[in-house]
Amino acid sequence: MKNKIKEWLKSGQIDIFLGYKTLQGHPLPHAFGKDNLEDIDTLITGSNYYPLEKIATKLVAEKPDIKIGMITQDHSQRALNVLYIWNQLDPENIKPLKGDGCSSNLKEHADDSHREAGKSGQFKKQFGMNTHASIEEAEIFAQQERFQRWMYEFQKCIKCYGCRNICPVCFCKQCSLEHSNLIGTGSLPPEAPIYHLVRAVHMAGRCIDCGLCEEACPADIPLRLLYRKVNAIVTELFDYETGSRLDQSPFSIIGESITLKLKPIAAA
Amino acid sequence: MECKFVPSVCSYCGTGCGVIFQVLDGKLVGTLPMKTHPVNEGKLCIKGWNLHEYVNSFLRLKYPLVKTFGRFIKVRWDEALQITADRFKEIIETHGPDSVGVLVSAKITNEENYLAQKFTRAVIGTNNVDHCARL
Amino acid sequence: MTIKRINFLQELLEFMGLGGRLHLEWISSAEAQKFVQVVKEFTEKIRHLGPNPLRGFTLNNLTLDVGAAAGTAAKTACPEPKETVAQN
Ligand code: SF4
Ligand code: SF4
Ligand code: SF4
Repeated sequence: MKNKIKEWLKSGQIDIFLGYKTLQGHPLPHAFGKDNLEDIDTLITGSNYYPLEKIATKLVAEKPDIKIGMITQDHSQRALNVLYIWNQLDPENIKPLKGDGCSSNLKEHADDSHREAGKSGQFKKQFGMNTHASIEEAEIFAQQERFQRWMYEFQKCIKCYGCRNICPVCFCKQCSLEHSNLIGTGSLPPEAPIYHLVRAVHMAGRCIDCGLCEEACPADIPLRLLYRKVNAIVTELFDYETGSRLDQSPFSIIGESITLKLKPIAAA
Repeated sequence: MECKFVPSVCSYCGTGCGVIFQVLDGKLVGTLPMKTHPVNEGKLCIKGWNLHEYVNSFLRLKYPLVKTFGRFIKVRWDEALQITADRFKEIIETHGPDSVGVLVSAKITNEENYLAQKFTRAVIGTNNVDHCARL
Repeated sequence: MTIKRINFLQELLEFMGLGGRLHLEWISSAEAQKFVQVVKEFTEKIRHLGPNPLRGFTLNNLTLDVGAAAGTAAKTACPEPKETVAQN
């Protein structure tokens, strides 16, 4: 693998390779360049995961022609697909190199264990939403209780924007979460549940279930569970699996013949 | 093109979260939380997330200014230091060292903060020193 | 487009615990009968669901409400709940 990267760099197929390296005892993202090929021997792979795709997007925004190689996991490939679809990256200029590990249970062979956070505490399980619950487990509560539990989670938010900042597929220049007409400003917690639902809706057909947002959330809000459900709805309604294909998300296609049915007013 | 990732510690408050700075061609462009840091375990607050912004802010002072007759005048460093020292001496002589207070900032490094409190206590001779992020 | 979004939103709100409060119907200006019927039905349903839980929502009584909804005895740990009366 390392020889391959060296070759790529030497032959000019890529200008820069994004991987990981241990620095001061921490595994950190690192950009390997042409000038220092020996450096590549220090490349590490494994348990850590940073949004390299996001870093690549930033690089491309500065230097549109730069050719980037990067180490990928399953979800990174999905993230790259989404970024290709939205024209943030050019597949011609990106050379992914498959590393190991995938954190999403969208895939059968997924192994999430290395990133398992501490188990949800007793209080959270009693009054909130268990972060490690599956969609089905989150749906066993009755409507009113579900609402209370989600609100308990949302009101913990400290509005750090961490979930958006770390997300590999969040690239908008103007973010709706910062738009004062959509989400009220000056209050903490931010307007619940609007803040979180706005982000959830924007993640439809976009979130590739990498789990970075949940990991970065200081308030331990089960964001991933919410976005996972959002994308489960998208898959169910439109048969679209985010990130696994290279066609546009169903929400950006207009004028397609209607296959959906209106829902009847169900008895309360 | 040079792209670097530099581990560091957030300077905004006493918590001391680990951050990674993304440096592009010598310019600070982004901050990421450090996942393996024992303090923050991959999380940051909104201040930490925006650490890189003040470094390149156009509002930053780049040279000393001295306020004379209500206007700020650009001066050289040695001049500025001389004026400050003279005024401090004058004030301390007439009103005593406790008439001076020093407020330090989260936007300078720990070492500079240390120097500032040392300066206040040892040179000026007062305990009137505080920090904007003394949580 | 609308139908895609509304169908999606209905499911999302359901997951959040606000299910059944959103409805979409195409009614032409010639269909007065239908309009009346739909509005009637939906009003009836909303009345049945009760007032919007977001109204009068305060953080103080949140855990208590959860406790009550979950049927657990959490009252000892928290102060007495204040009655929140939905004002119309
Ligand atoms: S899991 Fe979170 S960070 Fe990852 S793509 Fe989805 S919203 Fe973004
Ligand atoms: S990361 Fe968590 S606390 Fe921060 S804005 Fe997102 S939901 Fe709120
Ligand atoms: S300001 Fe925020 S990110 Fe920085 S050390 Fe304090 S808590 Fe951590």
